[in-house]
Amino acid sequence: MTDQLGALTTVFTEFYYWITVVLMFLIHVGFCMYEVGASRYKHHQHTLMKNTMLIPLVTVTWFLFGWWIYWAFPTGPGLAPSIMNESAALITDESAFSAKWYVPNSELMAVNLGDHISGVFWAAFLLFSWTAASIVSGAVIERITTFAFGILAIAIGSCFWVIDAAWGWHFDGWMLKILGYHDAYASGVIHAVAGGFALGILAVLGPRIGKFSSSGEPRNIGPRNPWLVTVGLFLIYTGFWGFYAACNIPIFDLGPEYGMEGVTYFTATNIYVTPTTLSGITMNFLMSLSGGLLAGYLVAKGDPFWTYSSGLAGIICASAGNDLYHPIQSMIIAMIGVVVAYKLHYWVERKFKIDDAVGAVAVHGYAGVAGLIICGFVLNGYPSSGYSVGAMWVGTDYAPINPLGMFLGAIIMFVVLGFIPGWIIAKVLHGMGKLRIPREVEIAGLDYEIMEAAKDDEKSVASASR
Amino acid sequence: MATVTNWIDHLSAKEVAGAVYPGVGTEGILVLIAFVLWIGWHVLAAKQESDKLSKLARKRHGPNDWKSNVTDG
Repeated sequence: MTDQLGALTTVFTEFYYWITVVLMFLIHVGFCMYEVGASRYKHHQHTLMKNTMLIPLVTVTWFLFGWWIYWAFPTGPGLAPSIMNESAALITDESAFSAKWYVPNSELMAVNLGDHISGVFWAAFLLFSWTAASIVSGAVIERITTFAFGILAIAIGSCFWVIDAAWGWHFDGWMLKILGYHDAYASGVIHAVAGGFALGILAVLGPRIGKFSSSGEPRNIGPRNPWLVTVGLFLIYTGFWGFYAACNIPIFDLGPEYGMEGVTYFTATNIYVTPTTLSGITMNFLMSLSGGLLAGYLVAKGDPFWTYSSGLAGIICASAGNDLYHPIQSMIIAMIGVVVAYKLHYWVERKFKIDDAVGAVAVHGYAGVAGLIICGFVLNGYPSSGYSVGAMWVGTDYAPINPLGMFLGAIIMFVVLGFIPGWIIAKVLHGMGKLRIPREVEIAGLDYEIMEAAKDDEKSVASASR
Repeated sequence: MATVTNWIDHLSAKEVAGAVYPGVGTEGILVLIAFVLWIGWHVLAAKQESDKLSKLARKRHGPNDWKSNVTDG
């Protein structure tokens, strides 16, 4: 960096993403607290370890291949040509945003004086990956093996969510061009896909012992520590601020980027490089949180667990279009999402005997899908990209946002890249006898031996005279 | 191993080399090591967990036995 203004812009952007990473770390702290609070005493420590270990497992694989997938797959491959090299093949050429630069042995995947952005951008996306895996973690507590969860966490965190991000959360993604897909703050690309993935696993994993009576009536296994759940969800809200900021590019000159001769227009943009403001999305974040809490309190009749979760579901539902919505639209959309998620959760539980221990499929999956579909109607006709506007299905230009495209996008997220891979991998693990813990262990409690050892230690200390 | 031995020389070069970590050029070997560590960890952790779960399953504790192990904090 040799000129001061360029250096300031670069270092500001570097620091901006770094701050978002630190904030987003709180999402994981929140998920850990929430899950432990929702689990029963005899499973607490195992529940904590399972969610904690996804951090290194997803991080290492994200370094080895996850980040590469994001930059290689925007074209499908084979579905729509890249605007960088006009080829529909995997993007691995010499172009500026090619996956070539993000193989794990690239010089850019390290301390590099010529690149201040790749590392913090890598990290911001990695934190999204942890979130995707952590969403799944809550649904399967108290009966999945840590080994199986590790494999599934890698699959969703470093593979399937990032394929959908390349397709629908990238300025060059084929879903924007062919479908007019728009998902600014990841209703679908993180939440719907992770919710669908969790549902696929749950269909194979089965419910916790005692969850359903012999007549099939569901029993409530409520949170054992409501305070941990409360603080956990507050922390997830807090981390979500960082997530929203991380989905933006903080400062960008759109004039030359869009090829507008003589035009200079500096702005913040969303991930598709279309303009928005951090100020506006902050209003929408708070109004959708409020809409979620208001609706959740009513629909759950004041149940604290669901009211808190509904705040989150509200944000998730409005997130697809929160770069453009009016704050009151955000609030209303959040309310609709919460009612849909809550009602569907109990319907699916009764109908299919699905035991989603923390309501993750509902809060992330159903609310995310509802958010995508609603976005198709509310933002109908907006351009999905600033680079060009074309017709649906063509693929050489960008289709405008539309209800059908968003509906198909929701199916791709929840079913194609979520439910189906989750179900298949869980089936394979089940076939290997590696998916579920033995029945005797589930009854005794996963922490039995740790607790027994702690009791022995306590006795020996209590009986000591010096 | 050191890629930089004098910052003045390094930064005043006509083209400043960006990569400054030790052992530039050995990235492929490092990636290979990371893969081996990653696979190895899964093998060891899976075996450890499997042994632990089998041992506990054999004891057939009741659903409330854990309560006798609650410490007094």
